[in-house]
Amino acid sequence: MTTSEQQPIEHAGALPLVPTASTSRMRILAVGGEAAPASHLRRWADELEMDFEWSSDIPQAVRLLAEKQWSAVLAVFGERQDEELTWWADTLRVANVTRHLIAVADRPSMGLALRAERLGVSDLLTRPVRREAFQAALRRIASETETGLPLPAVQPHAVGPYALVGESPVMLDVYKLLARVSATTVTVLLQGESGTGKEVVARTIHLSGPRAARPFVAVNCAAIPENLLESELFGHEKGAFTGAVARKIGRFQQATGGTLFLDEVGDLSLPLQAKILRAVQEREIERVGGAEPIPVDVRLIAATNHDLRAALDAGRFREDLYYRLAVMVIELPRLVDRGDDLLLLAAFFTNHIGERYGKRITSLSHRVVDVLRSRPWNGNVRELRNVIERMVVVARSEMLSVEDLPPELRGEDKMPADRARGGLLTLAETEARHITRVLAETAGQVGAAAEILGIHRNTLTRKIREYGL
Amino acid sequence: MKVEQALRLLPNLEALAPLRAQLLAVSRADERTRWASAAAYLTVGKRAVEGATLRERLDGLVEQVSTHLRVLYRSVVDAIEAQEAGETHRAIAALQRAGVFEVRAGRYRQAEAWYEAALNLAAELSDRGAELELLRLRGALSLTLGQYAAAARDCQRSLALAEAEFNDSAVIAACEELGNIHRVMGESAGAQSWYERGLGLNGTHGVRSGWLLLRLGDLARERDDIRAATALLDRAREYMRAGADAAGMAQTLSAQGQVHIAQGHHAAALGCYREALVWARQGPEPANLEVDIRIRLSELALESGRWLEAEADLRQAEQAALAHGLTRSLVEIYTLLGRLSGREGEETGFVFFEQALELRAVLELDALVEADVCLAYSQFHSALGNVDASRAYLERAGETYQARGQASGAERVHRELSRLGVA
Repeated sequence: MTTSEQQPIEHAGALPLVPTASTSRMRILAVGGEAAPASHLRRWADELEMDFEWSSDIPQAVRLLAEKQWSAVLAVFGERQDEELTWWADTLRVANVTRHLIAVADRPSMGLALRAERLGVSDLLTRPVRREAFQAALRRIASETETGLPLPAVQPHAVGPYALVGESPVMLDVYKLLARVSATTVTVLLQGESGTGKEVVARTIHLSGPRAARPFVAVNCAAIPENLLESELFGHEKGAFTGAVARKIGRFQQATGGTLFLDEVGDLSLPLQAKILRAVQEREIERVGGAEPIPVDVRLIAATNHDLRAALDAGRFREDLYYRLAVMVIELPRLVDRGDDLLLLAAFFTNHIGERYGKRITSLSHRVVDVLRSRPWNGNVRELRNVIERMVVVARSEMLSVEDLPPELRGEDKMPADRARGGLLTLAETEARHITRVLAETAGQVGAAAEILGIHRNTLTRKIREYGL
Repeated sequence: MKVEQALRLLPNLEALAPLRAQLLAVSRADERTRWASAAAYLTVGKRAVEGATLRERLDGLVEQVSTHLRVLYRSVVDAIEAQEAGETHRAIAALQRAGVFEVRAGRYRQAEAWYEAALNLAAELSDRGAELELLRLRGALSLTLGQYAAAARDCQRSLALAEAEFNDSAVIAACEELGNIHRVMGESAGAQSWYERGLGLNGTHGVRSGWLLLRLGDLARERDDIRAATALLDRAREYMRAGADAAGMAQTLSAQGQVHIAQGHHAAALGCYREALVWARQGPEPANLEVDIRIRLSELALESGRWLEAEADLRQAEQAALAHGLTRSLVEIYTLLGRLSGREGEETGFVFFEQALELRAVLELDALVEADVCLAYSQFHSALGNVDASRAYLERAGETYQARGQASGAERVHRELSRLGVA
């Protein structure tokens, strides 16, 4: 994505244009602005053998979007540029008509340009629109053809419906450990970042072990409000507290004979840790509001994305419980440390999700692969699965292309292209881009972003204001 | 720190209410938990809040509170001065203004007190114009608070006074309010007759007809009379467009979307909702409408099996509701997120219902809201095979519906109980 000022004037020569599925010519929908400039745009589009339609107001444009197929939308922004940009990006994403948005704004700020880039806007033009810039933007959209990489064959290490995918050396080490613990009923602690597949591994251990025919019960300790977690784990008698409308059998009891998977165990409060320790040591529990101890026989598998050792040192996690849980510790690797497992996983999810949505996807475009490889994948396999699912849902051909990428990833595809076109950045632009990226990664939390950037939060706040981010 | 932990540090004092609302507004989905397995079940209590962010907002917040107090104090001083000058009408207007201001700030109990004070003054006047308006306002407020009997009483009195005063405009307003009360109580025939009476009096004058037609269209849709609903809403839309009433357009389009859904025309419904969002942005309370329309969008996605979209819309609605202090909407949002979890067979989705019930209690919302949540919660349990829990929540909902004379709700509970084989 570039602003019009950075574009060299190109001559309208031969036009190898890419039409939409339903027409032989590209169709452009322009929204907003005045009628007179729109007539110029129509003529310039016609020179490129493209169809052009203009709508003065958004409601009419929304109806047109729903009624016809469009190759691109050109939106002329008014005074509330930021809001309109977000709205259009959101609308085109949901409407699933076209991914190509050309934004036109009066004196666009650097902040607007960065946000447009992040949202995957094809081009940002300055008003009044020049013929050269307009036609260059259309040509760029037309020339965005992609070649595909066939999906590699995947051989999942499947146990029941749960598949472990990957052939990297780090995953082979995990498989070896799994083979050792599966045959036993030893308590296992799974450690790894969020999204590395701890629950899949826990289910695999259960299904490969001697208790496979008995229940596997998972409890997400971080999701459940603190005041409800005790009754969730141990159950409660009817009327034990407000809202206890019926007797409840707790997860420990539900898992009798099978496996209890305590996910995010690092989030447990100290009082609850003590109660779990007692249940593990004495092999019996008491329902909330109940008087009778109930014997339980469960295999425990715990998981955490916290550094439990540090939590021990800080007094946030009981040492005795830690040693009860960490009889066998399995560390799950980050996705970025798994090399080409990324492609295998992408292929596995594409097939799996494609089947669910009734879509046949046979390849990933090379540009998509480049984007996937360049991601830091803070959310690991869960994030990858999420991205692939979003892509499969919107895909309209047998190849997953850049158009199918979620907006926040499409921006990443554009940045190298900008550089390739020779658009060298100023120091301020680079700084603004980096701040934007860090803010996106920290979900807009200024404190966390300032910490990563190594500057004071007041300095960051000032820069955000200065750059209009 | 998690919101649930931070809230424990706030005593339940009225003076801290704006700070509590601000705490929710600045809360965020913690980056560390963004990709954690718990992220799918994130509720407001599990969001993160930073003391430093809250501190940054303190000055603005105190300024906001101070502005609010200034308006209230000035209203009192205005009322005192007006009374000193023997201008009771002006004094009543000052007190009424404060009440309306409190309603806008969501301080309904306080608004009640202002209306009460104004009504006491109005009783001294021989001219009943001020009293009938105050009664209607207090009736509308009681409706918001779920006090239907009190709401009906006030609006009936307002209507009687308006008729005695030959004040057609006030008669129409009272008719509309009475229609709203009957509708919420599930008495659609009564609601229809009040709206029709209001419409008959108003004729073809301005957007008020649009609003009455919109209400009538909604009622027709609720009784599955699609043809009537379509015709009424088309007419409503013409009035709203002619009167450039953006909020009216947004609500009419949203209602038309629901009519399309009833006909199975999901693409058309989507178009209506998207257009409604555009109009909502031009209205006086865009956040309110946006939240409402996003909830409708998520319902549509849920019905169509597009769960990712449903969740995305609900999360956007949640964000908007939190950012704009529309915490009441969170009850519906979390109930829908719970339903979504149930469809996906996610047992942990119970956290959404629990959060909805907790918010209902904290915000002191009407018991019927709790009954609606319990009904959805029972269906969640039923889908997961927890028959006992499902029955218990159905019975809890049924008791409330019956106590409040909500026949349609009680009937739904009876149907569900029959389905479980226990009725």
